[in-house]
Amino acid sequence: MHFYLPVAEMSANILIFLAMGGAVGFLSGLFGVGGGFLMTPLLIFSGVPPAVAVGTESAQITASSVSGAFAQWQRRNIDFMMGGVLLAGGVLGSVFGVQLVGSLRRIGLFDFFVSMCYVTFLGVIGMLMLIESLNTMRKTRGGTVAARRSGQHNWIHGLPLKLRFHRSKLYISAIPPFFIGVFVGLLAAIMGVGGGFIMVPAMIYLLRVPTNVVVGTSLFQIVFLTAATTLLHASQNQTVDVALALLLMVGGVVGAQFGALAGEKLKAEQLRFLLAALVLMVGLRFAWQLIAAPSDLYSITVPVGGA
Amino acid sequence: MLRTEGRRATLGLLATLGIGFLALAAPETQAQRKKAPPPVAKEAPHTRVEEVRREQQPGAKEAVQADVSARNVAVTSSFNGIEIVIFGAVDNSQQPSAESGYYDVLIVVEGVPGRIVVRRKNNVAGLWLNTSSAAFELVPSYYAIASTRPIDEITTEEFRGAHGVGFQHLRFTPAFGQAQALSTEDLKEFREAIVRLKRKQGLYIQDNYNVAFIGRSLFRATIELPANVTVGPFETRVYLFREEKLLSQFTVRLNLEREGLERLLHGFAFRYPTFYGFMTVMIAIAAGLVASTVFRKAAH
Repeated sequence: MHFYLPVAEMSANILIFLAMGGAVGFLSGLFGVGGGFLMTPLLIFSGVPPAVAVGTESAQITASSVSGAFAQWQRRNIDFMMGGVLLAGGVLGSVFGVQLVGSLRRIGLFDFFVSMCYVTFLGVIGMLMLIESLNTMRKTRGGTVAARRSGQHNWIHGLPLKLRFHRSKLYISAIPPFFIGVFVGLLAAIMGVGGGFIMVPAMIYLLRVPTNVVVGTSLFQIVFLTAATTLLHASQNQTVDVALALLLMVGGVVGAQFGALAGEKLKAEQLRFLLAALVLMVGLRFAWQLIAAPSDLYSITVPVGGA
Repeated sequence: MLRTEGRRATLGLLATLGIGFLALAAPETQAQRKKAPPPVAKEAPHTRVEEVRREQQPGAKEAVQADVSARNVAVTSSFNGIEIVIFGAVDNSQQPSAESGYYDVLIVVEGVPGRIVVRRKNNVAGLWLNTSSAAFELVPSYYAIASTRPIDEITTEEFRGAHGVGFQHLRFTPAFGQAQALSTEDLKEFREAIVRLKRKQGLYIQDNYNVAFIGRSLFRATIELPANVTVGPFETRVYLFREEKLLSQFTVRLNLEREGLERLLHGFAFRYPTFYGFMTVMIAIAAGLVASTVFRKAAH
């Protein structure tokens, strides 16, 4: 069964894209991640123009994170002050990112840039996660688990513009969360991801936000950031395909439910090890694309704006 | 939808076959039915008797007429490419039978010309990235050649150059003001790359034995418009040859247009991009909330 996608301008097999949404939804439910870092590459490798993949995926992330954010809000696990500062930075970063996507497309370097971003970030995050999960597995086998050191002061506490973040029980400068937001916004616009994989570790290790608030606040920020990014991609680059987004959303929400059920049967460090392996594999796939000799050195495109 | 289209095409062909056979007996019937008369038909109308006599005279002027199975093709959400049947008839055919190979027919279908950027990758420090590019104007989005025999056997080089027949005679030109200075050699390579990639995408087609005579005067050809074809008007040029000499020529247009939901969404996305983006976000939020309530209820 085929559907002609109105913006991607390609005839897509509905079942394949539903299945893709379902599979990525399953994994994101299993690992508790947004899944953008899996979905965008899958779309690119299945022939969707990279810029359309990135723009459309931001719409799908909005859909998949809104229910999580809603549930966290009901459990009062969102620090709105922290989320607001992150979001302010995020929107700024997204504005820059969307502009950058447009310019890179015009000079034909967008595909390369996206691959480089994926290789760099997935490589680094994947390695860190792999090492961390292996360490935890070894330690639990030995019987001792290192407690997280808290209340430690670092350079962040010396910065001005201090704000009181009630929900997180923090009194720190607004500058670090703002710049974390900018960085995540940039990545969201360029890579078609929610940015949770950067934001969650940054909040835990740099800002020392309590873990129970981290996930809710991150989801809250992702909903609004990806909504803003979708709007920007649609209005500036015309690279959001609503039909494709809908297919992915339907597959994604169903898959996520099953993934969450499956996730309850696995141990946390096992999950993290598997996730790390998955992240590294996606990174390697992009690295291969950059290093291997292309089958055809030439490529043709209809210039941006000349649809 | 496609199936209906196919059925319509078959019906159209059958109808025209009927008309075609009628035309053999009574040429004025056909002249009345066709909207655009061929150049030769512009002469004063003949009586039926004269026409029949003329047909029997050896050396009378032949004329070709043609039409396509669907003049307006709708690109709807279920569009997955379409096969177009091009059929035509030779007036005053001197051909003894369909198999005699007395005439040669050449059909060229050309899509909207537009701008295309072609890029070349280079290895920079072990990584492959686009380093040089060239823009070309008036590149046909689609270009198909169908003929009774290979085109260099039925036409002269001069004809092919003058009428833009054959991939090497496509009239697209390097755009004015390139991003980089390019040598003639580079431009030639870029040009060849466009043709090669377009052929790979199924958008440039050459089929040497695709036109078949099915009678003394009737011929037909099928042309594939793939799913990735650009919408717009298509020009179909039909040439009739006898021993490399052009006898007659006929042009018919077909139009590929977005319709229905497809047209609505595409127009929305490109004409009201901000509003479209806003709508997409609303859909996403609604979908997420609906899903979470549905599954929460199901879990209880």
